[in-house]
Amino acid sequence: MDSGPGDEMLLAAVAERDMGAFRTLYERHAGWLAIRLGRRCNDRDLVADAIQDTFVAVWQKPQGFRGDGDIAAWLWGIAIRRLVSRLRTRGSLAAVFEDAKAAPAAEDQVLLSVEYGDIGQALARLSPEMRAVIQAVVLDGLSAREAAQLLHVPVSSVKTRLYRAKAHLRAALAEGSS
Amino acid sequence: MTSWHLDDDTLRRYVEQTDSLAEGASAEQHLLSCEPCRARVNATAGVIDLAAVWDRTRDAVEVPRPSVFERLLRVAGLPAHEARLVAVASAFRGVWLTGAAAVLAFAALAAAMGHARGLWLFLAVAPVVPCLVVAASYDPWMDPALEPELVTPYPALRLILLRTIAVLALALPAVLLFGLVVPGETAFAWLLPAVGFVAVVLAASTWVSPLRAAIAVSCAWPALVSLLATRPGSPDAIIQGRAQAGFLVLAAGSFGIFLLRGRQLRRLRPWR
Repeated sequence: MDSGPGDEMLLAAVAERDMGAFRTLYERHAGWLAIRLGRRCNDRDLVADAIQDTFVAVWQKPQGFRGDGDIAAWLWGIAIRRLVSRLRTRGSLAAVFEDAKAAPAAEDQVLLSVEYGDIGQALARLSPEMRAVIQAVVLDGLSAREAAQLLHVPVSSVKTRLYRAKAHLRAALAEGSS
Repeated sequence: MTSWHLDDDTLRRYVEQTDSLAEGASAEQHLLSCEPCRARVNATAGVIDLAAVWDRTRDAVEVPRPSVFERLLRVAGLPAHEARLVAVASAFRGVWLTGAAAVLAFAALAAAMGHARGLWLFLAVAPVVPCLVVAASYDPWMDPALEPELVTPYPALRLILLRTIAVLALALPAVLLFGLVVPGETAFAWLLPAVGFVAVVLAASTWVSPLRAAIAVSCAWPALVSLLATRPGSPDAIIQGRAQAGFLVLAAGSFGIFLLRGRQLRRLRPWR
């Protein structure tokens, strides 16, 4: 399954200003990064801008990778933050889960109807707003402030939703296992 | 590397965004550490035009990064193309500023020794340094980059004023710093003559090449100073009192002429 040089070697070559290695790195990672970003942001132009920003940042500071963990994870960390910063400068509403805007009371209704079961079910029953927060903070590792910018909600809402989501997941899991 | 991989259905649901949050999160976690599965995701249609984004990315990294000074100008609110025009001036190519600073440092050092001749030397050198640097910043002979710039329909007057301000903003703090080691009021009294000479060079550049104007000024002034130095009395006298007022008039008058004749700046080009 090994095809060509590893990502570390490519990154080292990029640090030596090797455009060919940069291109290979782009071809290896831009696709899945774009798809993953596309799950956070419906605006394709913003995703494209974020991908461009990400690789420009990689070109300018390849030494930002400290050699711990996967280069893919490092790239994702850059990409999601570039997306957040693009969203901030654009100032437009482009975040996912736009259906979340439809029913403000949905959150509470869904919370009441969280069914007992495994974590997958419990997650699936969360309201779209809560799922978005969980995804941004727990899965993507963004700070509350970054998540707030990504989702266009106040920081306090992120914290409240996260707190409630955790509480309800915990309750759902506890009930499910008993 | 793990032998577990995303099955085709999971992968398809992930790309189509029809999976659940938990399934998606699981897929994403796996993708971070599994190159073969990433390659499978890459092989799908994708959400953006990756080739177009690559072209933009390559263009973005191949353009040389703006210099520190240029970025500073942009932070200060200057539009990108004007920051570029101001920053390409040769005066900012380091060598010039270093040379000017070195000359000034020697003069200041001599003055700091307390020797009367040293003070004269400082007085002869310090006021002409800023106008030399300004002239160097937009003389076509020093700066071939000006050629295409002045062909483009860009207000030359504005360009030269911007560059002059930028040069002074860079040169004056350094010059002031050296002035501090000079004893007495001489440390600041030469500022007005310096501004006056810059204005003279600007005004003269509507007739002759700015570099020639600056060279003329920087020959005339030390000559005048050395002439005065042969007379008895404190060296400070020539840059104080009525003399200062005279420099102020000189600065204002020359600047007025420069603004009035600003249109003549189009003739910068044939001076080579």
